[in-house]
Amino acid sequence: MNHFFEFFSSFLRDFLRVSDLRMPSHQKSGTENSAFRSLPAGIPTEKKPWRDALITFFLLILATALSLLYFEISKNSANVALLYILALILIARGTDGYFWGIFSSLIGVICVNFLFTYPYMALNFTLAGYPVTFLGMLAISFITSASTTYTKRQMQMLAERERLLVEAEKEKMRANLLRAISHDLRTPLTSIIGSGSSYLESGALLDESQKNELVRQIYEDSNWLLNMVENLLSVTRIQDGATNVNKSYESVEEVVAEAVLRLKKRLPDASIKVHVPDELIMLPMDAILIEQVLINLLENAVLHSKSQLPISCYVEKENNSVIFHVRDYGIGIPTERLQTIFDGTPYTGNTSADSSRGMGIGLSICKTIISAHKGSIDVSPCEQGTDFYFSLPDSAQ
Amino acid sequence: MNTKTYIVLIEDEKNICNFISTTLTSQGYKISTAPNAKTGISLITSGCPDIILLDLGLPDMDGIDIIREIRTWASIPIIVISARTQEKEKVLALDTGADDYITKPFGPSELMARIRTALRHSNSLHTDSLLTQRPYRADGLVIDFEKRLVALDGIPVHLTQIEFKIVSLLAQNSGKVITYDSIISKVWGPYADDNNRILRVNMANIRRKLEKNPAEPHYIFTEIGIGYRMVEEG
Repeated sequence: MNHFFEFFSSFLRDFLRVSDLRMPSHQKSGTENSAFRSLPAGIPTEKKPWRDALITFFLLILATALSLLYFEISKNSANVALLYILALILIARGTDGYFWGIFSSLIGVICVNFLFTYPYMALNFTLAGYPVTFLGMLAISFITSASTTYTKRQMQMLAERERLLVEAEKEKMRANLLRAISHDLRTPLTSIIGSGSSYLESGALLDESQKNELVRQIYEDSNWLLNMVENLLSVTRIQDGATNVNKSYESVEEVVAEAVLRLKKRLPDASIKVHVPDELIMLPMDAILIEQVLINLLENAVLHSKSQLPISCYVEKENNSVIFHVRDYGIGIPTERLQTIFDGTPYTGNTSADSSRGMGIGLSICKTIISAHKGSIDVSPCEQGTDFYFSLPDSAQ
Repeated sequence: MNTKTYIVLIEDEKNICNFISTTLTSQGYKISTAPNAKTGISLITSGCPDIILLDLGLPDMDGIDIIREIRTWASIPIIVISARTQEKEKVLALDTGADDYITKPFGPSELMARIRTALRHSNSLHTDSLLTQRPYRADGLVIDFEKRLVALDGIPVHLTQIEFKIVSLLAQNSGKVITYDSIISKVWGPYADDNNRILRVNMANIRRKLEKNPAEPHYIFTEIGIGYRMVEEG
């Protein structure tokens, strides 16, 4: 019974140690500075000599106490060494480096010699087989310490590699975005610069309607640029990593209402049917970002569906998530396009790249925003038109 | 109007200055511009304008500090010009004493509407309180502050005490954005919890009573992260 208890409690301690050894490495990957500082060159974990000493002494005393008890009851010292070896293994596993393992093997050997072998309460190093016991315990502590250190280092390396992978993924996403954007920004800018300079240089030669046309073009293209810039700004709100947004509880109907209102300000002809559930839904989110997602989806529906039928935008509540739909009744999207529609890669189908400018970026930004909220965004083709929808988790954090 | 309304614009971007002063001059306002806070404040102290348009990002001084300084001696309406994505700054500016804000980029019509609202409110302050006592009317909605009655298209709407307080606060300041914090402190008192969930719940109820479709409001608009704005009378 006692054996079992001892084993169980040390196992528990050991387990706790391993799990709180993991904890800080997770927290580290959250804040970048400390992650860089703790980049492992040699032995990874920071030294905690006090804790190691405490663990060592606690386990040694426990082993000694149990051995004494066992010895008292059975008058047999055969299994005492086993108890010490168990303690030794746990110590080597639980502490950093080799020191405490070796130290406790030494103490263990002395204790066994002092307390449990024939001249009790006296040291006698001339016993037969003694060097074997000593060497055995030493070897056990060495091997356990080494393998523990190795495992810890492995774990650290794994966490590090994971972090680098996430970083690389983020970098790739940013590069994709930048590439797509610089292409898309150039077109309206060319038109603005061209219209502006031809107005200034040859204004005298143009009649009133031509001048108006030039200025109108400048106005339209700068509006389009503004939309793009707002999208870009929203990406910068997602700082440090793709999972860090400023969430606060917002009422869904207010966000939807403002998104629709802002879209209608820009595209007064858009006809949109909006519906929200009767009960008030409050969700943790960055409202500005979700508004941006809704605006992007609605704008795509208005501009690209090539249909006069009203777009419907509605919200559904499920068990622990809320789903926002933007449904148009237009020409639909080719199925081969649907798979990569959120990737931000420019569409190289049979239509020219300029005819669908901005659409890809808008959607990839939507995807970025929604994944930063730990939600999901998807699209499904319908009999007539397309249904874009995204869900946000309704978790009280 | 016998005399032209005098507006001071403090803005460091020359192009925006040009655009605003062209628009305002063509609409019959008198305008002076200042490229930094120092000249701006001296313009205000010497000229006593009717409205101040203030850009928050100035080279020599924080816009918030300018509002604070002006508010120590004058209640001239201040309209803050700010960039989007700075909700915190907008809220701070409003709570410091700015009357309204307008977000870059804005068109001339939006700017004119804000200026008219600000002028109307400052006039009602100067003349007497009768103007704020007469009922608010906008597009079928009537709010009688004295009788504590709200009617939509002639049909009375029943609002709770708190809901009426919120609606009348917004209506008396119609056209202006009122921050969450100032609604909460005016309706629930200065020591109320600053958790605005209770405000959201009340707003949701009000919306269901006043709006035909809560997702497409006609009367009360949300400025996400900042507050609420009630449609102007008319």
